[in-house]
Amino acid sequence: MEKIRWFWVWVIASLIFRLVFIYFPNDFILGSRAEIATPLTSLRRLAEGYWLKQSSMSPYAGSMYHGSPLLLSLLGPLTVLGTNGQPSYLLCSLLFVVADFVTAVLIRETGWKLQMAYSDRLKSLNLDKVLESSDILPAGDIASLIYLWNPLTIVTCLGLSTSPIENLMVVLSLYGACSGLAPLTAFGWVTASHLSLYPSLLVIPVIFLLGYGPESPPRKLYLQKTASSNGNNPVLGDHFFSWRPVIYFLLWATIWSSYFLFLCSISLKQYGGLPEMFKRTYGFILTVEDLSPNIGVLWYFFAEVFEFFRDFFLIVIHLNILFMILPLAIRLNHRPCFLAFVYIAIFSMLKSYPSSGDPALYLALVGLFVNELADMKFSFFLFCGYVGVALLSPVMHNLWIWRGTGNANFYFATAMGYACLQIILVVDSVSAMLQHDRMLQKLSRAQS
Amino acid sequence: MAESEVNEASKNPKKPQKPLIRVVIYIISHSSLFSLICCIAGIVAFLLLPILAKNTYISENALMPGSANPMFSGHETIEANQLVKEIMSINPKIVAAGIEIPRLLAQHMERTGAEVYCHKFHAQMNQFHPLQFFSASPYTLKMQENSSCGSHGINSVGIIRAPRGDGKEAIVLVTPYNSSKIDLSEALSLGLAYSIFSLLSRVNWLAKDFVWLAADSRYGEYNSVAAWLKDYHTPVFVGLKEFDTDTCAESSYPHDWKEHSTTARSIPDVFGRAGTIAAALVFKVVDRQETTDKDTLNIYSEASNGQMPNLDLINIVHYLAVHKQGLHVKVEKFYLLLNSAWLRIVGEIFELIGKVAKNLNPQWKFGIPAADYIEGTATLASSVYYQALGIPTGSHGAFRDYQVDAITLEISPRVSLNNEARRPEFLLRGGRLIEGVIRSVNNLLEKFHQSFFLYLMTSSGKFVSVGVYMIGFALLVSPLPVAAAALYSGLRTSDSSLNTNKHKANPSSTEAYGTVLKSWRWLHAAKVVFVVHLWGVLVSLVPCLIIQLPERTPTSSMLAWVSLSILSLVTLYGILGSPYSYIISPQYQRREWEILKAVMIAVASIGLGLMSIINYATAQIGAVLMVPMCLLAVPLRHISRSGMSRAVLLTIFNLVVAFLSFPPVTMLLIKGFSEGFDSVSVGDFWIWAQSLWTWNSATYLYLILIHLPCWALCIHILLHPC
Repeated sequence: MEKIRWFWVWVIASLIFRLVFIYFPNDFILGSRAEIATPLTSLRRLAEGYWLKQSSMSPYAGSMYHGSPLLLSLLGPLTVLGTNGQPSYLLCSLLFVVADFVTAVLIRETGWKLQMAYSDRLKSLNLDKVLESSDILPAGDIASLIYLWNPLTIVTCLGLSTSPIENLMVVLSLYGACSGLAPLTAFGWVTASHLSLYPSLLVIPVIFLLGYGPESPPRKLYLQKTASSNGNNPVLGDHFFSWRPVIYFLLWATIWSSYFLFLCSISLKQYGGLPEMFKRTYGFILTVEDLSPNIGVLWYFFAEVFEFFRDFFLIVIHLNILFMILPLAIRLNHRPCFLAFVYIAIFSMLKSYPSSGDPALYLALVGLFVNELADMKFSFFLFCGYVGVALLSPVMHNLWIWRGTGNANFYFATAMGYACLQIILVVDSVSAMLQHDRMLQKLSRAQS
Repeated sequence: MAESEVNEASKNPKKPQKPLIRVVIYIISHSSLFSLICCIAGIVAFLLLPILAKNTYISENALMPGSANPMFSGHETIEANQLVKEIMSINPKIVAAGIEIPRLLAQHMERTGAEVYCHKFHAQMNQFHPLQFFSASPYTLKMQENSSCGSHGINSVGIIRAPRGDGKEAIVLVTPYNSSKIDLSEALSLGLAYSIFSLLSRVNWLAKDFVWLAADSRYGEYNSVAAWLKDYHTPVFVGLKEFDTDTCAESSYPHDWKEHSTTARSIPDVFGRAGTIAAALVFKVVDRQETTDKDTLNIYSEASNGQMPNLDLINIVHYLAVHKQGLHVKVEKFYLLLNSAWLRIVGEIFELIGKVAKNLNPQWKFGIPAADYIEGTATLASSVYYQALGIPTGSHGAFRDYQVDAITLEISPRVSLNNEARRPEFLLRGGRLIEGVIRSVNNLLEKFHQSFFLYLMTSSGKFVSVGVYMIGFALLVSPLPVAAAALYSGLRTSDSSLNTNKHKANPSSTEAYGTVLKSWRWLHAAKVVFVVHLWGVLVSLVPCLIIQLPERTPTSSMLAWVSLSILSLVTLYGILGSPYSYIISPQYQRREWEILKAVMIAVASIGLGLMSIINYATAQIGAVLMVPMCLLAVPLRHISRSGMSRAVLLTIFNLVVAFLSFPPVTMLLIKGFSEGFDSVSVGDFWIWAQSLWTWNSATYLYLILIHLPCWALCIHILLHPC
């Protein structure tokens, strides 16, 4: 497991690359693109909300801002802090670059932790031949470089949307869970859920991570092992679910969430308080109020559906996400980090306002399992598909909005293609992972 | 997707498969035959387009062309003639001639009771902005403020407020004229436009505002119209406006206006607007002696990037011109093709097939006479050519950037314009035609949406719609993904067979981990492809530097471009590693070029697919050149291992195709064939490319970002040391 040569050089190069583009005055060309900034993450809307709040109005007035009031207090002052002669929002851009950098470092550390734990466990099963027979790649380094150099990440960072911060929080909670730090995990999870609601589903993988520890081969193998060696094998001991860190986590999560709610209620005291916040942020997410086009599929669907059936389909579509959670959790409970990746991919497919920040995150998480997913069948197809959709989407948008020769169906077609790609990615990666597990089982059976 | 299925199939052949998967596997395993058939079918489908063309029809019922009697009468022609005489009597020698005509026009417009103003604009210099196509909105265009005050033109604009409208919509009539050197035909178009204007100021049926823009084309027709449209669509803030007028002091403004007319004093400062523009007509009279016995109407409609106005607009013009005014309507065609021998042969073959089919079953009527076929192909070729070029064929192109449907009508009389006795009749025809079109558009309730936007013309009354021509394109391009899948799956099956062999030889080694990341082996090839495309981006930006150089000729610029491109390719390889430097175990090296070819073909098909959406015509021409090149590319060393005659044939094919599809060579050859090889020089490509980027043509992007890298990769494959 050698590290990638010049890892830090590549990291610094990616940061310089971002800084160079920040200094180009792009006048919100990226920030006004539907693919990059959604009603939830757009910094322009945040600036508007901040302005409303400064002039003692509710930041949620006029359906402009739909994010967290805490983000408003943190980022709001940065949006108006004009540096003389520099492009506006420079400070915010710098903050996003820093967020990207921290995310990448955390991904790298997570990758290291996962890999160490995994190799330890394989050794305890006498399966370490798997590690020696071929050169194992440094998954953490690869994943963090994928995150930093992914064009989608770069575009999201430059496009002034708050997704880098949401991604940072998700990765922070995963990192905390991998290293067993309950307070940090709880902080990351609570913040991520507070900012965009969907990461709250990550509570399941996070609990698995804290309870069982990071990735391991299927638990059945340990049972076989114990049975075959018919004795009190110490291997088995640390693979029971340990409740202690989980309870810590839940405790801390309660503390953090009540603290956040308290802060929110203070900042929104004159403007309707917490109920208003819930209605304007989570309500906005769940009821899909804004039907302006984005790369998801829901806007088109709810633009077409009759008002009468709207509630019904809202429930159906949100249940769609929930339906997939339980089976996946049962099947993949020994690989909680991978489970987290699958969840993130699924909800970025079905969420109401997806943006390019979501694929940026889950594509980097794929990198964490680069050794296990070596057998992915559709890798080349997926690569071509992502490149094609990423280029096609702006062209279709141009055809529809600016040239007037296309229509909404053109743009929606790419959104459907994108959703299909995500489905293929999830199916293919899960089947490759299960294949890998099967191979481990075969090996261990061959040994015993 | 299919490659894995092949793999699966080879693993467990007994497992029953779904029919769809079986079809896919069958196609992939016979990919070369499939490619050949599809390519030929694609080209044949393209040649069939003139036969498949349908007659145009008016799709929007609200238009009702020709349902009302024209009001344009002899009285108006007299008015027109008067203005023509006045304009022609202005002595072009005097200094103020450029101001004299706008003044005269403004006076006349005022007399009809319309709103009048003068729009002053600066001639814009051509700049290098190849990527403006993707920044997408014309509203973000930035005006160059540093142009000198001397080079300005004056458009005179008159607006008739509709007596029956709410002022939310407008129709625009543009008559370009050269204010510094006006000739009789331009004066006639001004006179005719004025007579229509004065007629419309009196009618009671007008429901949309009518704007007459007499565009000063001293600095180019397109520039003046584009400048006016830009000002029309961008809100001007008061402070800025004052600043703008201050910079160019009153010196250049027509002072003497105040002396001529007291009411005109307040005119120039206020930029008047009507509603959103529903349609625009650019109207010109040309004195071109045609050999027909009718007055001729030429229609030009291609705007930037192959965008066309809604077909309904052309339809009403065509309908009114042919059926009401008895004009001879023409669209542009390549006269060169009319005499081509092979086209005649193709036409006769199709005619013969049509006859045979008709004999078999009298209900099959798809044959057309060979002469019609040739005529249709010549028109189609010019339609494809102008769309592919992406350069508007007239000032109507400026309107399309604002989603306004516009066409240029060029009307030419059958006898000379100087023949005053024939003039009133000619004016009457032209006037009634334009009145009819305006009246028709006036009936429109929504903007044009009913008919086609994506079509090719094969004659003024026939068109091929997107649904028809896309089939040919899809056939032509479909071999690419199939070939990529076949190459890739062939690779994977050979991998697995390798693995099993190894497994047998050395049973102790663990299964499946023999090759790390075997399904990700395309990553290296993807890197090579990425580097070459990155080079394409650099090449596309190099002219940005070159145009800064002083004292350059087209040839020297071209040479500088080529040398800088090669230099940048070498530098990129120095930094990011050359494609041949990758060291791999010898068992895979054999396959390395195949994987590179698979990735290249996949990227090429993505690129062509994208371009077909942006500009079909470019993609079609590009596909004809690129598909054979991509499919044929095989390392020369690999070829030399096969049989003698086959090797020679393949090598020659490869080299010829690679030579022909190098963009400058293609362009110079086409130019040479159409204009003779004496006048062709290397610098021509530079001039051509320059015209592409100054017009924001996406064709430039396609050439440098997709076509050129693919060509370079094909050369890489040809020279691959396998």
